[in-house]
Amino acid sequence: MIELYAITDDATPPDPPLRAVRSDGLSALYAPSEPHEATIDELRRHEAVVEALMESRDLLPVRFGTLLADERAAARAVAERSEELAASLDRVRGAVELAVRVHARRRDADPPPRGVSGRDYMSGKARDTEAARAMHEPLAQLARENVIRPGPELLRAAYLVDRSALDRFVALVRRLQGANPELDVLCTGPWPPYSFAEGGRSS
Amino acid sequence: MSTSLAERDVALVDLVDRLLGGGVVIAGDITLSVADVDLVYVSLRALVTSVATAEEKQLLPRMGDAL
Repeated sequence: MIELYAITDDATPPDPPLRAVRSDGLSALYAPSEPHEATIDELRRHEAVVEALMESRDLLPVRFGTLLADERAAARAVAERSEELAASLDRVRGAVELAVRVHARRRDADPPPRGVSGRDYMSGKARDTEAARAMHEPLAQLARENVIRPGPELLRAAYLVDRSALDRFVALVRRLQGANPELDVLCTGPWPPYSFAEGGRSS
Repeated sequence: MSTSLAERDVALVDLVDRLLGGGVVIAGDITLSVADVDLVYVSLRALVTSVATAEEKQLLPRMGDAL
């Protein structure tokens, strides 16, 4: 069997053991594989492969764990969606994904501290939520696209950022963190455009 | 201490989010799933207070520092 890693329209052959199969102007990048246990280490390994590929080409990352019978099956599957995939590639070209999560510095599950009324505690929470939401707007303005994901945090979002705007985006995150010491702003990346590969929505 | 457990886990929630919930969906014969994803989320929630100073994955500077 083979395992898919990414779809690209760049014709540069990947380094072994990765191979490429062409289909309708697109290449599916894959490696020989067998059904295996999906562990966290496997996720990390998979991600390292995609990130290495991303260094020298624009690509759409493929959902983890996509196994097909052989090259022909991969070419067929890509051909079925080639127009859509080509359009998605154009949308993410020259950009990377950044993840931003914001949560209150105190632990949500903690009971209100002694001496703080329930009402004050709740209004503090509401303030945090508002502050986290307010961070999204300037970040979204620096990004090509964005998507807010469900999660336990006050804000869990992904931003599609031009490579040339990466430094500005990071500087903005730092400024927002500095201006909101009661919140933790966790930013990771640059990631392959996982959240925008299937047409991310902007909010 | 180089990369602490908390730092690794900060990126882990984003990693799991993306690899299992994102990416192009190509009709495959088999799609693997990760059985312990729920556990990952639980352990991350438990870590919420300890990640305040965690550095992010790779290239980005430390975000926890107020400038």
